[in-house]
Parts: sequence; C-alpha cells; structure tokens
Amino acid sequence: MPIDAATSALNLSFPPTTTAGFVVPQSRSFTVSVNPVVLFSILDHYLRRQENQHRVIGTLLGVRSEDGSEVEVRNCFPVPHDETQNQNQVAVDMEYHHNMFELHKKVNAKEIIVGWYATGSNLNQWNALIQDFYSKEVMPPFQAIHLTMDTDLKNEEKLLGVKTYVGAPIGISAKPENCLFLPVPCDVKYFDAERSGLDLLASAKDELSRSTSLISDMDNLEKTIVAVQKMLERISDYVNKVLDGSIPSNNTIGRFLMDTISVVPKIDKAEFEKMFNSHLQSEEVQTNQKR
Amino acid sequence: MSASGTPTTPKETLSNVNVTAALDVEGNFPLESVQIDGLVVLKIIKHCREFFPSPVTGQLLGLDVNGVLEVTNCFPFPGAKAEDENELVDGARYQVDMMRCLREVNVDNNTVGWYQSTYLGSFVTHKLIETQYNYQQTFNNKSVVIVHDVSRSTHSNLSLRAFRFSQAFMEAQKEDKFTTESLIKNKLTFSNIFEELPITVKNSHLVTALLHSLDDYEHVIPKSASLDKEKVVSPLSPNFDTLELSLDPYIEKNLEFLLESVEEHTQEQNTYAFWQRSVAREQTKIQVALQKRKQENVSRLASGLEPLPEDDIHKNHKLPAEPSRLDSLLITSQINNYCKQLNQYSGPTLGKLFISGELQK
Repeated sequence: MPIDAATSALNLSFPPTTTAGFVVPQSRSFTVSVNPVVLFSILDHYLRRQENQHRVIGTLLGVRSEDGSEVEVRNCFPVPHDETQNQNQVAVDMEYHHNMFELHKKVNAKEIIVGWYATGSNLNQWNALIQDFYSKEVMPPFQAIHLTMDTDLKNEEKLLGVKTYVGAPIGISAKPENCLFLPVPCDVKYFDAERSGLDLLASAKDELSRSTSLISDMDNLEKTIVAVQKMLERISDYVNKVLDGSIPSNNTIGRFLMDTISVVPKIDKAEFEKMFNSHLQSEEVQTNQKR
Repeated sequence: MSASGTPTTPKETLSNVNVTAALDVEGNFPLESVQIDGLVVLKIIKHCREFFPSPVTGQLLGLDVNGVLEVTNCFPFPGAKAEDENELVDGARYQVDMMRCLREVNVDNNTVGWYQSTYLGSFVTHKLIETQYNYQQTFNNKSVVIVHDVSRSTHSNLSLRAFRFSQAFMEAQKEDKFTTESLIKNKLTFSNIFEELPITVKNSHLVTALLHSLDDYEHVIPKSASLDKEKVVSPLSPNFDTLELSLDPYIEKNLEFLLESVEEHTQEQNTYAFWQRSVAREQTKIQVALQKRKQENVSRLASGLEPLPEDDIHKNHKLPAEPSRLDSLLITSQINNYCKQLNQYSGPTLGKLFISGELQK
C-alpha cells in the first residue's frame, strides 16, 4: 500500500553496463517497505528536536531479501546533526551513529544499515552530502536509501507523505555534493502481531484526547460484529436502491457481491450440527474445568 | 532514590535525580494508571515478535506525573542469555550507554520500569519477581512491569498489562520470609501479589496525522483501480481476524499449561504436608521427652534430689523450618491467570459459535 500520492515516475531496471569511461551505477530496481514503527519513531524524534532545529535525520536499519529486490526498513534511530552553523557545511555526529549502531547490533544482529531518513520534503545539497556519507555505510553493491517524511504537511493532499529515494551520481566527474535522487516505490508493511497494536492506536485517531484504553476480547468482538453489521446494512441499502432504480447498477459491484456470497460455505445440516456440537462441547469442557 | 544500583538497574545519572526531585515537589501521589505512547506499544510488539517464543525484556522510559506513569519511550535489552558475570556487566554497560545516547536526542531518560514478553500469560516467575522487586525498591515504588503476550495478540486483541507489586508483597519480599505466619501478617494471598494498573494509549498530534494519512488510501490510490480484482488493503482497513473460528491450538496449549501448574501445585502441597507431618512428629517427641522428664523429676524430688530443668528439651529438639510458601503462592497466582485467560477466551468464542450457527440457518 503506497502512502503517498502516486508519482508518475517509472521504475525501470537495466542491466549493469560499463561503457568506456562512464560507470553506470549498479541500479537494480527494488522496492522499499517500511514498518510502521519506523514512521512512529521518526515522528517522535521530530517532536523532540532541538528548539532551533527545523529538521531531523537518522539512520534506517533493516533487512534485504535474498535477491535484493525488496528492502524492509524495520528500525531506525535518530542521529544528531547540525546544518545551522555554517552555510557550506553540515555536521553529522558520526560517532553517535556508530555507537548507536553497535548498541542496536547487540539486540538484533540481523538488522543492518540500509539508509537514512530526514523530515521535511525538500531535497537540498545537504541531502546529497549526507547521502554520500551513508552510501559508504551501506554494504556494497547496495545503495543507501533516503526516506523523507513530510512533517510540515504542506503538500496538497495534507498527507504525511513518505517518499524513498536512491542516489545516483550526475555530472562527468562524480562529486559528493552532486547527486540525483531517484524515487523508489515504497509501501507500509507490518506483521500479524503488530496488527492488533496498530488497530488499537488507530482507534484513538478520532478521539479529541488522542488516547484510548485497551479493550477486552469480548468488547473487541462486539466492535467487529457491529462493523460487519454496518457493512451489511450499507450493502443492502445499496442493493435496494439499485432494485428501485434510483441509482444505476454497477456490474463490478455486482460481481463482487456474487463472489462474496459464493464464499459462504454450504454445509450439510447434519454435518454442521455435528461440528457445532463438538465445538460447543470442547468449550463446555474447559468452562467446567475452571470450576 | 537509593543510590545503590542493582545489577539489573543502571546507576542513575545527574539529570535523572533532578527530574525525580522536581516531581516529588508535586507530592507523593501513588501510581494509579499507566499511559503509554503509541510508539512504545509498537516498539514492544516489534521486539517481542522478533524473538518469539523466547522471552525478551526491555527498559521503559518516561515520567510519572501526578499518579499517571507516562511511558514515552523504551529500548530492548540484548538477549537473555546473561548468566555469567561478564555478560551481566555487559548488560549494565549497554543500559548506561543506551541511556546516554538517548538523552543526547532529548528522549526522556528516566527509568520507569521494564517490559517482558510472555507466552500465553505464563509470566509469574521467580525471575520476574526478583527483577520487579529490584526496580520497585530502587525507584520508590514508581515502577511497573508491562507484560505483552505475543501469542494472544497475534490473532485478536492486543494483550498488554501493567503490573506492580502490592505493598503487602513488598513487605514480605523485603523480609524474604514467606511462612504462613508472615503471609497472615501481611494479608497476602495469590490474588494480591500484583496490582494491575489500567493502561491508556496516547498518540501525539503528528502520529494522529500519520494514522489519518494511512487511512486515507482512497486519495492515494487512483479511483479507477479501486474496485479491481486487485486487493486494495489499507494498513488500517477493518480487521476481522477476531471472527476467526479456530480455537483448538490456543485452548489446547492453555489447558496444557494449566495442568502443568496444577501438578506443580500438588507437589508444593506435598512438601507442605510433609513438613506438617514432621512438625507433628517432632512435637510428639518433645511431649514424650517432657513427660519423661516430669516423671523423673517427681522421683528425684521424692528421693530429695534437685529437679532437672525442662528447658533443654526444647533446645535439643528443633522444629524443622517451614518451607517457603512463595512457590505455592506464585503457582496459585499462575493458575488463577490461566483460568481467567480461558474465561476471557471462551466467552467470545461461544458467541462466535452461535453466530456461525445462526448463519447456517
């Protein structure tokens, strides 16, 4: 699932070729998937920035699939940097970066440096310099990924746009401050275990207090059933309207409905009774056991 | 705050002391609830999931404000194989280094507790007791342990629970005496070892914006594709995993654990009964000896001799020491846990069964 407006950029992969005097960068096409925890961490870091800081950067950690076609960004940590002092310089606390990486390695050795993040949507010459630094941190032949998050919310859609790039050198003689950022497709990926946590967090998004409390299994079930009920109501409402002729029918929706209905398993009544009772029994057994 | 750092808790640095001092001005409110940042929830889940099923632990950072413990960040501890001295030192250094690094980027670096992953709620262990006791003693009772159950959270509801020890248990643990007498004195039973604190989850404004962005997938995907066969799944699309009907593996494991604990409990009972019997035996021995001494004294008096003292009999016969009741206390608490869990699980499952029954009519 992309989380930013679709771009018109095409992602083509071309075989690594070397023409005389001109080295084409190793550019295999790959996609980036970001774990939500990374986005949350970046936002937390941005919230806790220094007073005069207008953007923050940090290191992205993750894993690559074996064929290198997918990069999963699973973790990140902030890195202090300074671009206010001097017009022509940007200082990244490299020692901090290395220390933190060592600490992270102790917990999870599988996660390696895959790139870096920055908040804000502009790419400027500092980005190119920092990209140059991170390119050296990432194990060759892979490229460092640059992830930006639009914390200013100044874009048209008012989304926290997340974009990922790889750097490509431009110019006849490659200079670190010359860099072309090529967009890379990016989506959000999470694991089953994280789903329940995300759901809980999402349930707070419409609250004024921005907070929510944990609910019991029973309440959770109720919530789900209510949601299903609402959906059924909506669809029957729609079907009725189509039958009335008040809105035109839509073949695609019809086909979807057909598919959905055919999914409901048709089980023999006696068979079902048997299954039902055996399940019920095992339920009762353990309810009794508790007494 | 006591300055003596235990192996599991890092020595606190200057700024930390300041923070606690500043907060003490606001009065010594006892903790009433725990408020977790969304980031912390995700971080805990991530860490616990990656090492599932082996248990993992980590540190919680935050502040306590007027009885609400705000947990704003956390970091994982490296693998739990730290048995020998060297690893322990390493672990302590890791904590100190991590805290220092986090402070540099303005993260709250005040320890407020720790978290642990668990499998099907089997978290009442000696290790947890020891660690939590250390935390609670070092941090003036303002420290919690958050227990996350990965297996329960995978397919339905998020399971996060915050605990701390009750005052009664702290007293008993301080004396390190778990005899029947001290249990009665402290009014300690299996149900009041822990106090569970309610958890609320709070998101920052930016996170709320992010959640809305994630949800806003209609604007993101071109409209024409939205009803194609291709799956359109937003990260936050409604989740119907709760309606899953398969329940066998979960219940099976749960019952297995329950049986195990019951067995352990019987063993504990046996030890206790054995002790009771041996006490009774000793007591009869003493009685017999006393009787004998009395008769002897009577005959000695009759023959005009000094009576022999009766005290030394008590000295010669020692009553066996009572076995610690801590184990049986913990096991009972664990059994209680499993039962509650089964209860919580079977309710919705029965509901689901009847729903599917209705669906077939």
